[in-house]
Amino acid sequence: MKKEFTRHILWHFSLFLGAVIIIFPILYMFSASLMPLEEIFSMPVRLWPSRPRLLNYGEIFTKFSLHRYFLNSVILTIFTLICNIFFCSLVGYSLAKFTFPGRDMLFTLILATMMIPSNVIVIPLYLLIRSFGWVNSFWGLSLPHAITPFGIFLMRQFIRAIPDDYIDAARIDGCSEFKIFYRIIMPLSLPAIATLSVVTFVNVWNLFLWPLIVITSDAKKTLPIALNQFLSNYANDWNLLMAASVVATSPILLFFFVFNRGFIEGMTGLSGLKE
Amino acid sequence: MPGKQTKQKSIGGIKRRERTYGFVFALPAIFFFAIFYFLPIIKTLQISFYRWDFLSPPVFEGLKNYVVLLRSSEFHNSLRNSFYYAFGTTIPIWFIALGLAVLFNRITSTSWLYLVVYYIPVVVPLIVACIVWQIMYHPSYGVLTFITRPLGFVDIPWLTSSRLAMPSIILLSIWKGTPFYMVIYLAGLVSIPKEYTEAAQIDGANKYQVFWHITIPLLKPVILYVIVISIIAALQVFDPFYVMTKGGPGSATRVVTLFVNETAFQYLKVGTAAAASLVFFSLVLCLSLVILRFFRSSWE
Repeated sequence: MKKEFTRHILWHFSLFLGAVIIIFPILYMFSASLMPLEEIFSMPVRLWPSRPRLLNYGEIFTKFSLHRYFLNSVILTIFTLICNIFFCSLVGYSLAKFTFPGRDMLFTLILATMMIPSNVIVIPLYLLIRSFGWVNSFWGLSLPHAITPFGIFLMRQFIRAIPDDYIDAARIDGCSEFKIFYRIIMPLSLPAIATLSVVTFVNVWNLFLWPLIVITSDAKKTLPIALNQFLSNYANDWNLLMAASVVATSPILLFFFVFNRGFIEGMTGLSGLKE
Repeated sequence: MPGKQTKQKSIGGIKRRERTYGFVFALPAIFFFAIFYFLPIIKTLQISFYRWDFLSPPVFEGLKNYVVLLRSSEFHNSLRNSFYYAFGTTIPIWFIALGLAVLFNRITSTSWLYLVVYYIPVVVPLIVACIVWQIMYHPSYGVLTFITRPLGFVDIPWLTSSRLAMPSIILLSIWKGTPFYMVIYLAGLVSIPKEYTEAAQIDGANKYQVFWHITIPLLKPVILYVIVISIIAALQVFDPFYVMTKGGPGSATRVVTLFVNETAFQYLKVGTAAAASLVFFSLVLCLSLVILRFFRSSWE
C-alpha cells in the first residue's frame, strides 16, 4: 500500500516536471511580453517582470498595427473554414453515397494528392495564380486551400457510415437532392465537421510559405508573415515581439483549452482517446 | 458498397438521377484538383526541362537542369542538411515520445490534464515557436543562459555557429513535434488488451520482459506509422530555416525546401528549382517505401 502511494507520487512528480520543461518557452513568452525592455536585457536574465508592463500590448497595435494582420488572418481562416466544411462534405457525400462513372478513380486520385508535398507544387501554383492575375489577392491566397484532400477523405469515411435509410426516406418524401445534403447529411456529420474545422483552423492560421510567396503588399499580409517581418525589422524589441507572439497564439490556445479533446483527437486522427 | 442492395430495388429513373447528382456534387473537387494539383504537377515536370527566369520566354534545355543539380555541391549540401535535420529530429522523437507515452501509461482524468499541457507546443504556431526560441537562443541575454551560465557555458553561439545551428533548430523541432507522436503512441498503448500483459506477468515475466516481449511487438504497426510520417513531415519543414537562420551560417542549415525557394524566387532559376523539387520528392517517396519494406520484412 505504501509502495503504491510512493509510486503514485513519483508518477505525478515526473509528469509535473516534464510539463514544466515543456511549457517553459510558452510561459517565458507570456512573461517576457510583460517586461520593459531594460528588464529583458538585464544580467542575469530575469524570468518574470518586476511589475507587468501592459503598455507593450498597446504598442504592438500602434507601432506594428498588428490588428490589421490579425484581421487578415481571421478573414482567411474563416473563409477557408467555410469552404472546406461545405465542399469537403458535399464531395465526401457524393463519393460515399452515389454511384457514377469514374467515382472510384476520382477518389483514388484525391487520395494520391495527399502524398504530394506542398513544396513540390508551390512554384507552379504560383505561376498559375500569376496567370490568373491573382498575385497579391485574397483569391490567390485562399483558393488553393479551399478544399483539402484530407477533408474529403475524412468526410467520405464518416458519411459512408450514415445509414442509407435516412436518405431514401427523405427521397420518398420528395426532398430535393441538395436539401437532403444540407438538412440531413450535414447535421448528421457534425462530429467529422468538428474534426475538419480543427485541422483546417490550425493549418490555415499557421500558413507560412504560401502567403510569403503570394502576398506582396504590406496591407494584405497574414499574421505569420507579419511576425516574420517584425522579427527582421524590430529584432531588438523583444518584449514587443513576445507580445505579438502572444496575440498570434491566443486564438488557437483559447480554442485549444476549450475544445482540447477535439484538437488532440482531430489533429492526430484518433478518436475515443478519452472515455 | 453498403448501399448496393437498397439501390438495386430502385427504378431506372432514380438511378439516372443519382448518377447526375453524384457527378454534380463531385464537380467542385474535379475542378479544384485539376486546377490546383494536377496542372501544377504537370507544369513542374514541364518547366524542369526549361531555363526560365519568370520574365523572358522559357528556353528548352532538355535534361540540363538535372545535370546541373547532379553536379551542384550546393544542392548536395542541401540534401545532406535535409536528411541530417530529418533524422536528427525524428530519431530522438521516436524514443522520447515512446518514453513519455509509457510514463503516461493510461488516460485518466488527471493524466488528461497533463496531456493537454504537454500538447501545447503542437498547437502553438510554428512562426511563434521560431521567434520565442530565437530569443531564448540569444548568446548573452537569451533565457537559456539561465541554465547554461551556472553550468559554466558562457555565450553559446546557438544559431550563429555552423556546427551548433542545425542542432539548435533540431532541439526546437523535437520540442514542437514530440507531444504529437506521444499521443499516437499513447493511443496504441491504451488499445493493447490488459489480458496480454497480465497473463505474461502471471507466467512470471518481469516488467521489462513484458515491455520488450509483449508491448513493443504489439505496438509495431504504430511505431512503423510514427517513423514514416515523422520523417516525411520533417523533410518538408521550411519555416524555422527561413525565419531563424536563412540557411546560414554559410550553408550549414540550407535544407532542400529553402534551396528550392531561393533558387526560384531569389536567383530566378525556375527550371532548376522545379527539377530540384521533383528530385527531392522522388527521394522522399523512395525513402518511405524503403522504410516500409525494411520494417515489414524484419518484423513480420
